[in-house]
Amino acid sequence: MKEQLQKDFNNSIKNLSLSQKDIEIKKFCLDNFIDKGFPNRKEEDWKFSDLSQIIKNNIGELSFYNDQASTNKVDTSVFVDGLEHNKIVFINGRIEKIDFDYEKKDQIEIIDQSETINEFRNSNSLSDLNNAFTNKCFKILVKKGYQLIKPLIIYHTTNSKIWSKNINLRLNFELDKDSSLRLIDLFNDTSEKNFLNIFYNFELKENAVLKNYKVDKFENKNIKYSFNNIDQDKNSISETFILSSGSNFSKNEINCNLNGIYASAFVNGIFSLNSDKHHEIRSIINHLNENTKSYQLIKSVLDESSKAVYQGKIFVNSDAQKTDGYQLSKAILLNKESEFNAKPELEIYADDVKCSHGSASGSLNEDSIFYLMSRGLSYQQSRELLINGFLLDVVEKITDSEIKNLIKNMIGIKE
Amino acid sequence: MLKINNLNATIDNKSILNGLYLDINPGEVHAIMGPNGSGKSTLSNILSGKKGYEVSGEVLFEEKDLFELETEERAHKGIFLAFQYPLEIPGVNTNIFLKTSLNAVRKARGEKELDAIEFLKLVKEKSKELKFDEEKLNRQLNVGFSGGEKKKNEILQMSLLAPKLSILDETDSGLDIDALKIVADGVNTLRNKNNSFLIITHYQRLLDYIKPDFVHVLMNGKIVKSGGPDLALELEKKGYENFN
Repeated sequence: MKEQLQKDFNNSIKNLSLSQKDIEIKKFCLDNFIDKGFPNRKEEDWKFSDLSQIIKNNIGELSFYNDQASTNKVDTSVFVDGLEHNKIVFINGRIEKIDFDYEKKDQIEIIDQSETINEFRNSNSLSDLNNAFTNKCFKILVKKGYQLIKPLIIYHTTNSKIWSKNINLRLNFELDKDSSLRLIDLFNDTSEKNFLNIFYNFELKENAVLKNYKVDKFENKNIKYSFNNIDQDKNSISETFILSSGSNFSKNEINCNLNGIYASAFVNGIFSLNSDKHHEIRSIINHLNENTKSYQLIKSVLDESSKAVYQGKIFVNSDAQKTDGYQLSKAILLNKESEFNAKPELEIYADDVKCSHGSASGSLNEDSIFYLMSRGLSYQQSRELLINGFLLDVVEKITDSEIKNLIKNMIGIKE
Repeated sequence: MLKINNLNATIDNKSILNGLYLDINPGEVHAIMGPNGSGKSTLSNILSGKKGYEVSGEVLFEEKDLFELETEERAHKGIFLAFQYPLEIPGVNTNIFLKTSLNAVRKARGEKELDAIEFLKLVKEKSKELKFDEEKLNRQLNVGFSGGEKKKNEILQMSLLAPKLSILDETDSGLDIDALKIVADGVNTLRNKNNSFLIITHYQRLLDYIKPDFVHVLMNGKIVKSGGPDLALELEKKGYENFN
């Protein structure tokens, strides 16, 4: 892998006009990654999902160079119907379209940060990989007091032109004071066996509201990692909803820093998995100031030999009195081979806090099935109704009613 | 309509029914009374197709071998069990459940499925008859319902599905006298020369409101005595001990 990385890295920086210093930084990140490799089970955060093995078994050898010279044709058939929205379109990792047609032009700034390196770090080597290979990076700045009229949908589209490729993406968002953004990440893959490594950074100023809905619904054989850092000032709200279903492997990490008083974070998610899919959500909510609040609800329906992992950490530092932290995960295992792992962590250094966590897993209730069947429903209908009912309350947590309906239709959930 | 010949049932190697015989003809109301553990609920579970029992013997419903039918097929053919403990099903809207159920049964019977408007009209009508709070129809199925509301919901389902054979498994338990009357009215409205009822109960009380044609005493997994309505009164007076 080392030679491939070096060769692809040299190709990739050739096309960028970077200062010597920036190249050095990228090289440093590359060397870090070469040194550490993909995360593996020896790292605590990856003990349930050995990415190194998963890539080896599902993809084999990856290549890292992406020719960004030629444009891809945007297939408009993937666009969501019936919901007016702004768009950012990625095709095979290349930004093809940024369109804020519905918004006031002077209220949103799109800043090209491709040629200024600001390193993005998290605790694992994937940030190094991302820093080394990301060659286009934008920052979306929503100005003070502006609330986007329509949601923004980011289309992550891949097609069969890429194979055994690593794609690195990076986007930064800044929501200035009193602004708000509704964001949907929609994955649409017709490619196979690629590894997508996506880093988002969100900066929420006072009173800002971010609603981020991540929808990985369509069946595909790709492997995805998405890291989301959210820094929150006073009174800001972040709401994250994750539908984790389509990819072969997916790990979503939400790292939330509640820096300002009264900041709150909501992380809700659904795992709906079959075959031998393996998905994970890892959340870290850092309560760093007084009266901050977090709420997390994760539900899983796991069929065949699929596996879901939820690692949720609530950290409360000594200044964060009156913290309110809650997390709950529930799983239905439809098959003896399916597996659910939950690792809740509470780390609390303040004494006046309210924190709780819970986790439960089991099979579908046979008595409930019998009850429904005795009313004429088939086994399949009964099962669907029960699963639908089980998942409904997570979807109900979506606070935007337009998007809630869109997601309900997408997963076929009925009220 | 229903013919039970020498029915035996065991669960986890424990014998529950030991040679039970019962004939129910169209239009008849039969009451089965018996002490705790006599096999009453097992009988109703087996008739409606609950899994987990080892059974032998023969049960014919309209000349068809019942054991060859799945639970939902029995419902389609017109067997209905009002549960002793109706289940709470979170996340499942009562109205949607009722409509799915009714249309599944109608479809299997070759009748036209009802659209949302037709269904709502019907369910509102039936709810009114049973004094079932309409607001409950928009709630999750049985979740947070009182004992009486759950039982009324069972009778509402019964009246929507219009079964040929209704089995009421201790429907009277946990009901106050007003709810009991409403439940009994529901049964009596459905009662005609084609529909039959099997009423399982501990007490004679329900039978004051639903007059049975036959009363059977179930002890240790078989019927030890059968008679007319008077038998229930006799039981109430003497207790089950004397029949052992």
